[in-house]
Amino acid sequence: MGYAAARGGLKAIEAAERLVARERVLGESPWLESKQMIEKLRLAVDRVMGEGGLWDEHLAASALRQAEGDPIEAAHLLRSYRSTLPRLAYTTPVDVDDLVVLRRIVPAFRNPPGPQLLGRTTDYTGRLLDTNDETTQRTAAEKMAAFLEENVTFTTDESADGAPDDDPVEGRRPRRLLDLLRDLDAVVDRRRVDDPEPFDITRHPARPPATRSARLATMARAETGALVNVWYRNILGPDGYLHEITLGEVRHGRLPVRVVHPLTGDEISITDVRVTEVEAIEDLNGIDEDRGRFDVGYGLCFGHNEKKAIAMANLDIACERDKGRTFLEQSILLTTDGLDASGFLEHLKLPHYVTFRSMMERKAAIRRHQKSV
Amino acid sequence: MNTSLLQQVLDRNTRIDESPVADLDVNFGLLDEYSKREIRRAILTAVAVPGYQVPFGSREMPVARGWGSGGLQISLAVVGPDDVVKVIDQGDDEGVNAVNLRRLIVSSTGIPESTTPEDSTLIQTRHRIPEDPLDERHTLILQVPVPEPLRGVERDMRELARMHAEADYARMWVSLYEDKVRNGVITRTTGYPCLVNGRYVIATTPIPRWDVPRLHQSRFLSLFGAGREKRIYAVPPHTDVEPLTFEDVPFEVEITPGAECRSCGSSESFLVEVPGSTTDGGGHWVCSDSDWCRRHRERRQHPSRGDRS
Repeated sequence: MGYAAARGGLKAIEAAERLVARERVLGESPWLESKQMIEKLRLAVDRVMGEGGLWDEHLAASALRQAEGDPIEAAHLLRSYRSTLPRLAYTTPVDVDDLVVLRRIVPAFRNPPGPQLLGRTTDYTGRLLDTNDETTQRTAAEKMAAFLEENVTFTTDESADGAPDDDPVEGRRPRRLLDLLRDLDAVVDRRRVDDPEPFDITRHPARPPATRSARLATMARAETGALVNVWYRNILGPDGYLHEITLGEVRHGRLPVRVVHPLTGDEISITDVRVTEVEAIEDLNGIDEDRGRFDVGYGLCFGHNEKKAIAMANLDIACERDKGRTFLEQSILLTTDGLDASGFLEHLKLPHYVTFRSMMERKAAIRRHQKSV
Repeated sequence: MNTSLLQQVLDRNTRIDESPVADLDVNFGLLDEYSKREIRRAILTAVAVPGYQVPFGSREMPVARGWGSGGLQISLAVVGPDDVVKVIDQGDDEGVNAVNLRRLIVSSTGIPESTTPEDSTLIQTRHRIPEDPLDERHTLILQVPVPEPLRGVERDMRELARMHAEADYARMWVSLYEDKVRNGVITRTTGYPCLVNGRYVIATTPIPRWDVPRLHQSRFLSLFGAGREKRIYAVPPHTDVEPLTFEDVPFEVEITPGAECRSCGSSESFLVEVPGSTTDGGGHWVCSDSDWCRRHRERRQHPSRGDRS
């Protein structure tokens, strides 16, 4: 029978699973260790944790391995694992001023208060593909390792442990640029009290009109490419017009995670997470806006993912200024989740012969009508 | 959890039938109890307000969004140890995605499965309602890709919410009228818009128009789960479900004159076309409900055997 051949049932599924396993298990290369991915594919692991909404480098690395390197699929594995776990406790709110920076850039000033700390970045390294064969590359890496061990003392991570009395200006917890702008009365005051509890996107669907915390949470977990795309569409015009924004802060660092101890009632720090944080300064030029001041958009996501945090901060302020006039908020809330979009796209592979039969029948009905008139 | 869930599902695969619940490390029905409770509450609201799309905190499932994650959440939230589950895709129990969903339900609960509605209590389905008459014993769980019936006439979700709240379906009626005027027939195919209980317009998932009348004053409970769009809605038993059409324009279902199933000879079931597979280049038809078709064929061949439907 025609379609019967494409029906597989359990046997076909099992055969497909074995085919996936074949290269992974029978291939010549050794087992891909989680540690390798965490150290050497750091940005991929970070991205999966951010889009999966779960901070656990080892689980993220496992997911990435199981997903054969597809970050959206890996984020899906993390999130569906989360669904099986009860939520036992909430962390206490963390002040982002507690961020201990591993990297901090302030493009808005030549000499901002606090350090310009490049940290770990390839931003200023030429994008030259290493075309040497693997042996040569390995030898070079070994030489580099020997050189680093001999000649370089890394201070970043040690001092990142962050003494609390760290110098607030020059140290690892620099004052943020926004504070300076506030001192100078150069930003509008948009602090508000009507959104006190952060909107929990894992428990309630965020739909327009939504609170700012719902938009921020959605973007923090959004698929990186989707968020970059929504941002870029608002640069080039199809969806709006974001003029060029000046970044006040681009930070990558560690934030403490604190919970209230169930017995003592004291707040205790249980771990820290790495986050990327961005503040985007927007020149207000609308007729209903305060032309004498700036406004600031905010972005923060798990891991080291500057593209995402910058897009997020830009879209945060764009959404604020849009005030519901366009579909921007709906685009952000409804179209940037990687699991939603890719799942729905891929579902088109499922059989649709019942719906198609119904469409064929209507096409015939329309043609009959066309002939009769 | 000692063994990974994936491994358990894979292991269980080979011994699906005799697997007791007790040896499973995951929670009964995969989801944690808090999540199940929240989904059940959404379902209760949906049943209390027929046709209203209840927002819920849709969980990420071990199947992708768009692959039945909403239906699966409902199934796993309502399933109990005494249930028997049937899962179909396009009417077919053997469709690969139906098999995958069924093994997830069965492996995380240990409940028995069946292909026959007569033996089943929970029926999760994509795109069809089984041909057999269903009754009070059955809960039909439909996977919904797009729950919003009005999206074709309005894209702004704020406005959509207002239209439903005020039962303002004028633009839907205008679009149907324009369709009829331009094309001579109403060209809506599957997921035909229906008014439920005289109040809310729903998208009848993409079930064919053939199945729509069976929702009207049905004896069974229908639950619609849209995981990606995070909505649950319901048609309770004995509730009016009226396809939107005009007094002088009859609602038309998919019927092709002369078509009958090549396997069982039926012309009274929903048929799908198998194109160009005979020597003269013409196609033929088969039932989309594969289990009903098998039993119908057996009844015709052996009329003396017990008729279970």
